[in-house]
Amino acid sequence: MSARRRPAIWRWVVLVLLGVYFLVPLVASFWFTIDDRRRGGLTGEYYTGIVGAEGFLPAFGLSMRLALLTILITLALMIPTILVVHLQLPRLRPVVELITLLPLVLPPIALVVGVGSVLRWGPNELAGTPLGDFLVGLQDENMPWILVFVYVVLALPFAYRSLDAGIRAVDLHTLVEAARNLGASWPKVVWQVVVPVLRTSVLNAAFLTLALVLGEYTIARLLIFEPFSVWIVQISGSEAQLSVSVSVLSLALTWLLLIAVSSLGGRRGREATLRSL
Amino acid sequence: MTETLDRGAGAPSTGAAAPRRRRPHRGKALAWLAVLPFFVVVGVFFFLPAGVLFFDAFRITDPDTQVTRFGLDNLEQASKGGYRTAFMGSIKLSVVTAVLGAVLGLLLAQAVVTARRGNLLRRLVLTASGVLANFGGVPLAFAFIATIGNAGVITALLKDAFGYDLGSSLYSFSGLALVYLYFLVPLMVLVIVPALDGLRPQWHEAAENLGATRWQYWRHVGGPILAPPVVGATMLLFCSAFAAFATAAAMVGSTVPLVTLQISDVLSGNVLAGQENVGKALGLGMVAVIAVVMTVYVLVQRRTSRWFR
Amino acid sequence: MSAVPIEGVAATSEAVAALRERGGVEVEFRGLHRSFGDVHALDGLDLKVEPGELIALLGPSGCGKTTALRVLAGFEVPDAGEVLVDGVDVLGVSANRRDMGMVFQAYSLFPHLTAVDNVAFGLRVRGRAAAARRARAQELLELVGLGEHGRRYPHQLSGGQQQRVALARALAVEPRVLLLDEPLSALDAKVRVQLREEIRRLQLELGITTVFVTHDQEEALSLADRVGVLRSGRLEQCAAPDELYTRPATAFVAEFVGTMNRIPGELHADGLVSVLGQKLAALDAGDRQPGVGVDVLVRPEVVEVTADAEGTGRVITRTFHGAMTRVRVGLGTGTEVLADLPSVDAGELSPGATVALRLADRGVLVADPLS
Repeated sequence: MSARRRPAIWRWVVLVLLGVYFLVPLVASFWFTIDDRRRGGLTGEYYTGIVGAEGFLPAFGLSMRLALLTILITLALMIPTILVVHLQLPRLRPVVELITLLPLVLPPIALVVGVGSVLRWGPNELAGTPLGDFLVGLQDENMPWILVFVYVVLALPFAYRSLDAGIRAVDLHTLVEAARNLGASWPKVVWQVVVPVLRTSVLNAAFLTLALVLGEYTIARLLIFEPFSVWIVQISGSEAQLSVSVSVLSLALTWLLLIAVSSLGGRRGREATLRSL
Repeated sequence: MTETLDRGAGAPSTGAAAPRRRRPHRGKALAWLAVLPFFVVVGVFFFLPAGVLFFDAFRITDPDTQVTRFGLDNLEQASKGGYRTAFMGSIKLSVVTAVLGAVLGLLLAQAVVTARRGNLLRRLVLTASGVLANFGGVPLAFAFIATIGNAGVITALLKDAFGYDLGSSLYSFSGLALVYLYFLVPLMVLVIVPALDGLRPQWHEAAENLGATRWQYWRHVGGPILAPPVVGATMLLFCSAFAAFATAAAMVGSTVPLVTLQISDVLSGNVLAGQENVGKALGLGMVAVIAVVMTVYVLVQRRTSRWFR
Repeated sequence: MSAVPIEGVAATSEAVAALRERGGVEVEFRGLHRSFGDVHALDGLDLKVEPGELIALLGPSGCGKTTALRVLAGFEVPDAGEVLVDGVDVLGVSANRRDMGMVFQAYSLFPHLTAVDNVAFGLRVRGRAAAARRARAQELLELVGLGEHGRRYPHQLSGGQQQRVALARALAVEPRVLLLDEPLSALDAKVRVQLREEIRRLQLELGITTVFVTHDQEEALSLADRVGVLRSGRLEQCAAPDELYTRPATAFVAEFVGTMNRIPGELHADGLVSVLGQKLAALDAGDRQPGVGVDVLVRPEVVEVTADAEGTGRVITRTFHGAMTRVRVGLGTGTEVLADLPSVDAGELSPGATVALRLADRGVLVADPLS
């Protein structure tokens, strides 16, 4: 830059202050979970006790089932859509892009109000009709499909951005045209060109969706289901340290997931991940 | 596009016109079929509830006579009393945290982008930001409760070591703001780093060469160029803070008036009969605020992104 | 350097008058050293630029030419050495007070300002009144031929237009020295040629000392009063273009500037070298021992090619360049020789034809053979 070297003190001040701000809660929470308040010293009981805690397995199991289904359905919807929109129906792309942005404008708390209303038609206005039964069935406690589909809608922006970043990064259009030029049929193109090339983005989208579903609280609580996050809040009253230890673990899990995602594709993966966040 | 791809694979169109014309059509039909599920799911599970939300916001049911009519009563109710306080509370909290988050995030981003041996630092901060930007909701609230809540680790430390009692100060407007910054600052970093990267070194050098001091550079070049992205990012932060629910719910219950908490109250039945649709009016109000802010954001983006072509 | 009037520009233009009044100043690099880790970007550079001269710094990438320019501008600090402008060492002066105008390779216009405001920027920073600086900026835009484009933004201008604005902007502050860092490299070929002629005319008219960095030797040769060829941070030769071309001081310069053939030959005791069956004077045999194999360096235009059934060469390719045709001849030993001749004489030299080669009877440069 210029001839003199300015001592960049401000940079260190900022880094240190913000570093402290971000690290302290993490460290303190961890400490909170290993501090044995009854007997003094340290204990690991709030970690070992998680699996056996009351309601943990059903809640966690439910969240995992929801996450798996959400991921599958989101990918099954988005991959064909994004392919078609990039390759066959480009005029549809701005429409699809706009649609994927809408869930960001309608916050989950407002969305769940509408969802709740529609669901109430089931046992009320539409009672006895096939549609009414469908709506009631969506709310089945053991397998609340309504959560799956609403989560799919919430995951759309992230999935779309992730896949889109992947497609742009490799200029899919050119690759597909080249493949077609060399004589490949459409199924071959999809299997041997598109899927391998988008593998990173797909995994990226899957992990982001997983993190989203595990952490989702608003919709689940207000529709009165009890997946993981809702369960954590439930037990926080009686088992404060346990609720925090579970939170710490879930944060660690999310962290690992995101790091796995960003290191999957090397630098390309990292940039695509960050762009889709 | 399908036409190009298909014709490219065969002879010129002088021969066998009929079979060739069929393929593009069938290709297009299949394409539409492939996107149909997307539209169906989005239609049923997003547009339908959204539509109901908007529709019902204007619907009033008299609790005694069960007669339904349309009007602005719900909206009126939503703009008075406790609801109004909640709305203002949300806006105030969102503005404060958006501005603070923007400033701190900008400083952090600049500290990281301009660092000399910065590559490791930059990657670390960006990855951490990516994770923390999504670390909202319940785990975040609990992390802070464990830190400076009533029984928090730092609370105890301060009391024992310095005799300073934090008490319940976490469960307040400022406490909530402090917590919100935890995901807003990383979000700002993620959004603004590309803009900072886009500040070409040639501009700084050219300005210097032409006689500008550091201050003059920032005032005449750096500042004006960065202003639109920073404003845009602040709007994003506002929307993020405004829409947040889980963090507040897990932490403050009803001690801080927020519109998201109000809506949850309405939904849980904590309101008078006949007032259910006020919740929808509140929801509509939220969407209106967010839509306005996002529109400003998009407009600003569009005007100034031309510069960087 | 006598000033050459520019067509269409009012001789009474204030901007031009102000710039001319400045006159040219002398610039000197003394013993400049600059290393980045293990890389010696500048390894003892000594160069003096005469007042009003346009000197081109030419060399391959990494030779230090850009580093030298940036040291002059104040963006790099050398590890050792001095930089004198008008006799005064400027190394202690910060970049924004060196009073030099620089044109960068690309992207240096401020995107949020119009062309006029870009050009006026230096004046604004110096506190000139708005009306006065706009007027001066407009004059300069007219000087570079963009009088009507003042209100446009950089993204609305073509590459060539942007560089003209950059030039006007650099001149607006009436600098003592004009610095150009490969300003034409990012432009189309046709625009490049046109713009370089205009830069030269402008520079002559204003009489401002100019340092022009480029890796394109055609550009350097056609523009400059003198060309400084750099290699690995050192100056190999600094001379007028024609001297550089016809009397290169080193093998590197010989091969970098223009095209140069390498034909294997053998050195003899009396300062002669035998090559292609001829004996010619070796100009820089140095202390090489007689009998040693050397490469003889000759330009294509001094190689004569004639169709000869008993010749030792065969035409590999023939490339038509308009007035001149370039013929590539293989000698059967793996060596290929390029020969340039007028196209009218190239009729019988089609690929595959047997030919004889003859070098003009002059002294030649020799170099050690490449391994």
